Amino acid sequence: MTDLNRRSFIKQTSVGAATLGLLSSLPALAAISDSPQATMPEVPAAVFGGPMIAHVTDVAKGEVALLVGAREIIFRDLPLVTRLMKAAG
Amino acid sequence: MSSHREAPEISKDPVADNTDVYAFVSPDNANMVTLLMNYIPLEGPAGGPNFFEFGDDVLYEIHVDNDGDADDDITYQFRFQTELRNPNTFLYNTGPINSLGDPNWNKRQFYSVTRVEEHGKTTVLAEGLASPPCNIGPFSTPNYPALAEAAVHRLPTGETVFAGQRAEGFYVDLGSVFDLIDLRPFQNLHVNPLPAAAGVNGTNRLNIHTIALQLPKNMLTSDGSYPSNPNDPRSLIGVYASASRRKATILNGDAEIKEAGPWVQVSRLGSPLFNEVMIPLAKKDFWNAQAPKNDSQFLDFVQHQEVPFRLTNFYPGVFPNLAAYTKPRADMVAIFLTGIPAGIIPGFQNFTGNTLADLLRLNMAIPPATAPNVLGILGGDLAGFPNGRRVFDDVFTIELRALAGATIHLVDPSFTPDANASKFTDGLDPSKINSPFLARFPYLGVPYDGFDNPSS
Repeated sequence: MTDLNRRSFIKQTSVGAATLGLLSSLPALAAISDSPQATMPEVPAAVFGGPMIAHVTDVAKGEVALLVGAREIIFRDLPLVTRLMKAAG
Repeated sequence: MSSHREAPEISKDPVADNTDVYAFVSPDNANMVTLLMNYIPLEGPAGGPNFFEFGDDVLYEIHVDNDGDADDDITYQFRFQTELRNPNTFLYNTGPINSLGDPNWNKRQFYSVTRVEEHGKTTVLAEGLASPPCNIGPFSTPNYPALAEAAVHRLPTGETVFAGQRAEGFYVDLGSVFDLIDLRPFQNLHVNPLPAAAGVNGTNRLNIHTIALQLPKNMLTSDGSYPSNPNDPRSLIGVYASASRRKATILNGDAEIKEAGPWVQVSRLGSPLFNEVMIPLAKKDFWNAQAPKNDSQFLDFVQHQEVPFRLTNFYPGVFPNLAAYTKPRADMVAIFLTGIPAGIIPGFQNFTGNTLADLLRLNMAIPPATAPNVLGILGGDLAGFPNGRRVFDDVFTIELRALAGATIHLVDPSFTPDANASKFTDGLDPSKINSPFLARFPYLGVPYDGFDNPSS
């Protein structure tokens, strides 16, 4: 991945990741959530205090398992997964 | 082995490999129950300079079910943290270690203890508890028993805990068992006969790491009572231990390891040898990841065991009645999955209900034996395996004989055990362990030191 592409990727995916960070702070959304809209809310810094790993578990459904702290948040975001797939080449 | 390196994946992860679990009414205080869970199989005592230790990245748990549903009612969690005093030496210690705070000891480990109750109430009972060092040798650890004694911690909440190296207490002739069950005392009867010989303890002079917990019986019962009636279901607990790792690990290539996600169980153990000999290779890793309450999916492996089939093949003509027995093994189901119902063994039961689960079931109302028999209930000693498990119980021989048909008649009177079923053994007893068991907590012997073991 070139620097330009990498920066572009980070810019794009950080939008989804930030959204998910907010989602993860809401207990009601611990189960599968659909997040088709990529927005940039303010995210508490504590959410990103440790490593955060996104595991695309189902490309076709846009399903992602977000591992952060001792939690696993499963959500669906097809646009995000599509961008990740493009970034993966 | 009991559960040492018993499954493909966990055999590559010794720090998380749960090798043995013990649960017994404490022989030196019958109001207390002792639970031990061992990890890190086959520690060579001289294995420095990075001597054995618990994993900082592993969640160690011992689980107790006290109402018969095979679900956790009480769980004790243990988490470890390693501290390096001097990053500029390759040595574990730079002089003799005379106390747990000795500045000569470079790499120390501390741990926390947390109690979790059924509905999620979580209480951190202690933090920063010191583990003892490994037993290095007479110059490094000149008074090892005193170091270990100093690492016995009595918590204000009533529990006593210890976490550290001990001598391996499980004895078995590994070499003969894995050489096609060619048990030396009976190898004259084997399909490839050799003169009968004495057993060889394959785990002798090796160490393990144990997490030991002792607590009053009433801290384990569902209603806080002290059990006194063996027939009362409230006298029973089912115990298993586990090890878990985080779901994801990132290696950055700079020695920094990052982890994230929930804990995922990678090892578990209730009854000795369950995963080892009952579950086929292709299912062992999966079994390790499952909760005992889901063990009905493994029922067929318990009812139709492989070991009896192999015995009848490797020992032709020795077990004719066993060879002809084709019914599902109800005795195995009772011993390993439900507990033994009342009415089968006079004065005893540890039946926890119809939920099938591999748990080590202890009837806490049975007092410690005044003259213990290492064959436990098979030897007429109701305080021994499979009523829980004591450190000295000869669980290999007990299970071998049961698998050979010695217990079928207890649930199926139409069956007559073969004459050799109640004689079969690998020829070992606790006298084949060089470091003797202790009469007090944590009961497992002083670990072998690396200077003297091996000695030649």
